[in-house]
Amino acid sequence: MKSIISATGLTKRYQLGKDNFVDALRGASVDVGAGEMVAIMGPSGCGKSTMLHMMGCLDNPDGGQVQLNGRRVDNLGGGAITKLLREEIGFIFQGFNLVPTMSAIDNVAIAAQYAGKSRREANRLAQEALDRVGLADRADHRPNELSGGQQQRVAVARALVNGPSVILGDEPTGNLDSTSSAEVIDMMREINLTTGTTFVLVTHDPDVAEACDRVIHMRDGLVIEETAAIGIWEGAPCGTDAAVAVC
Amino acid sequence: MSTVRNIFRRRLRAFLTIFGITIGVFALVVMGSMAEKINLLIDGGTRYYSDKVIISDASTSMGAISTTPISVGRIPEIENVPGVARASASVYMLLKKDQGMSMGVPQGIMGTDMRQVGYEKFKLTMAAGRDLAPSDRGKAVVGSDVAKALNAQVGKRIELRGEMFEVVGIYNKTLTAPDNTVTISMADVQALLYAQLPSIIQQQVKPEQLATGITAYPQSGVDPNQLATTIQGTVSGVNANGPKAFTDQFKSATKIFNSIIFGVALISLLVGGLSVVNTMTMSVFERTREIGIRKAIGASHRQIVGQFLIESAMIGFLGGVTGLALGWITSIAVNAVMASSGTVLFLVTPRLALGSLAFAIVLGVGSGFYPSLHAARLKPVLALRYE
Ligand SMILES: Nc1ncnc2c1ncn2[C@@H]1O[C@H](COP(=O)(O)OP(=O)(O)OP(=O)(O)O)[C@@H](O)[C@H]1O
Ligand SMILES: [Mg+2]
Repeated sequence: MKSIISATGLTKRYQLGKDNFVDALRGASVDVGAGEMVAIMGPSGCGKSTMLHMMGCLDNPDGGQVQLNGRRVDNLGGGAITKLLREEIGFIFQGFNLVPTMSAIDNVAIAAQYAGKSRREANRLAQEALDRVGLADRADHRPNELSGGQQQRVAVARALVNGPSVILGDEPTGNLDSTSSAEVIDMMREINLTTGTTFVLVTHDPDVAEACDRVIHMRDGLVIEETAAIGIWEGAPCGTDAAVAVC
Repeated sequence: MSTVRNIFRRRLRAFLTIFGITIGVFALVVMGSMAEKINLLIDGGTRYYSDKVIISDASTSMGAISTTPISVGRIPEIENVPGVARASASVYMLLKKDQGMSMGVPQGIMGTDMRQVGYEKFKLTMAAGRDLAPSDRGKAVVGSDVAKALNAQVGKRIELRGEMFEVVGIYNKTLTAPDNTVTISMADVQALLYAQLPSIIQQQVKPEQLATGITAYPQSGVDPNQLATTIQGTVSGVNANGPKAFTDQFKSATKIFNSIIFGVALISLLVGGLSVVNTMTMSVFERTREIGIRKAIGASHRQIVGQFLIESAMIGFLGGVTGLALGWITSIAVNAVMASSGTVLFLVTPRLALGSLAFAIVLGVGSGFYPSLHAARLKPVLALRYE
């Protein structure tokens, strides 16, 4: 499988005081293949978020390299990073993901507008993306008028709107009950399988891990183990990889 | 829409900030409209005095309102001075004997010997009725502001210094001195003035010789300032003032007023500006996570700065609009109340209205600049870790 993200030997040290520091990453390496859906798991504070941020160019490692689509991205300047965030990478965060003063469709459209689309075009794309996550009828609702699961689906739509090759999620189901959680997981898996968009999801949620192709386990700033997951997706049509366990 | 919603996320704070700008702009509009009125007044005065020399008795200090009479008999002497085309005597006195200090031009009564006709360039037009004719006695033509104060209408009678006069006309508004002046015939005003003089002086003068000033009109091509010097040098016992003497006096008055306006603008700039800086800084702080998310989904520095600048410009705009509205309403209300005394204190001109609105917006943008820049520079990771 062609690799889409490859991080090698990432280190990151946070200096807290003069002789007081935290090594968030101590030489972690990850390789994610194009079209894969992988979970990153591990105890709290082991460096999962830090790693995810580096894969998405939100943070620079002290040492090591990150390649995206075969191109080195850990040493890019601000303008190039912004371009990458607009075109190549989508983000989903745990909670408070949306701008509270904007409607669902505006929250999605803004990402397209940042990417240089006209207001009209951005709205059309946003409507399409909301359709995709089954929220076309909630387009004009504000975040506080949506359930937690619906809010996360809007966030998925926003991550999708510019057609990125990778979507990075930091505990996307962290704030959700199991029903909404399952909805969001199914949605991501469906998108992953139908569009080939790569998903990397930091999670504590075993249900998320279960839906992925592979789980990367971290501890103390290192990747310690990788396991193949079952890759269950309840809604998968029989005959696809993801359906093996179901059918 | 989203901009306005963002501003009012913290309702009380938004109102207080906008209110701060409102007060500043209100003060600016009120002071400014006063200045605009005075500037127009001065403008009219400057135009009026621009082509003539005003001659008064040497013991009179200065200005059009002289205290010591000058004799009409001095006209031939003045007209003999080379460069003088025509000299015309006039009497000016205050409408009320004990007129206190007033803002702007005091109300007055005026009469001329009509010799200025054909030489005077400052033309008055009629709003109602007719102009004064040389043969009129007991008739008055009234300026527009003083007409309101005296409740004067064509055909009605008004009282001037104890005498009744019939109003035959009302002048159009000039926005300067004639608005506050009642014009009557020379003989009538001479009689009024004579009656006011102390009896010792009454014995020395004849009413028909009385004038308070003589206006000399230069021949074409003659510089009025030069002419004033010539008259001063050749005619004894008079004060001759050219346009420069008046414009100098006006200029210093304008200067004081303009510096007051400038001071008010500066204070509101400081107060309003600081409160916008404070509000925007708080707002950026509270929305740290939102900024992080926006950057993570591809917002550039410029787009973040733009978003916050639009918000602070909107705060300025809202404060500006309400301040302008309040100031305007106040100026209309005060003018209406003062109309009975004939004083028009405020004039809200388009340039003042647009100027103060622009001022408020610039203020908002200017003070939103630093907080916006700060927002744009937030590191996305740090912003995302912020809850
Ligand atoms: N800005 C920072 N300054 C100081 N220390 C930091 C900073 N960011 C992260 N850390 C530390 O780095 C370590 C790894 O943090 P990270 O957020 O990557 O953990 P995580 O695996 O995502 O944990 P969780 O599951 O609780 O989200 C932690 O010990 C954290 O305290
Ligand atoms: Mg984390």
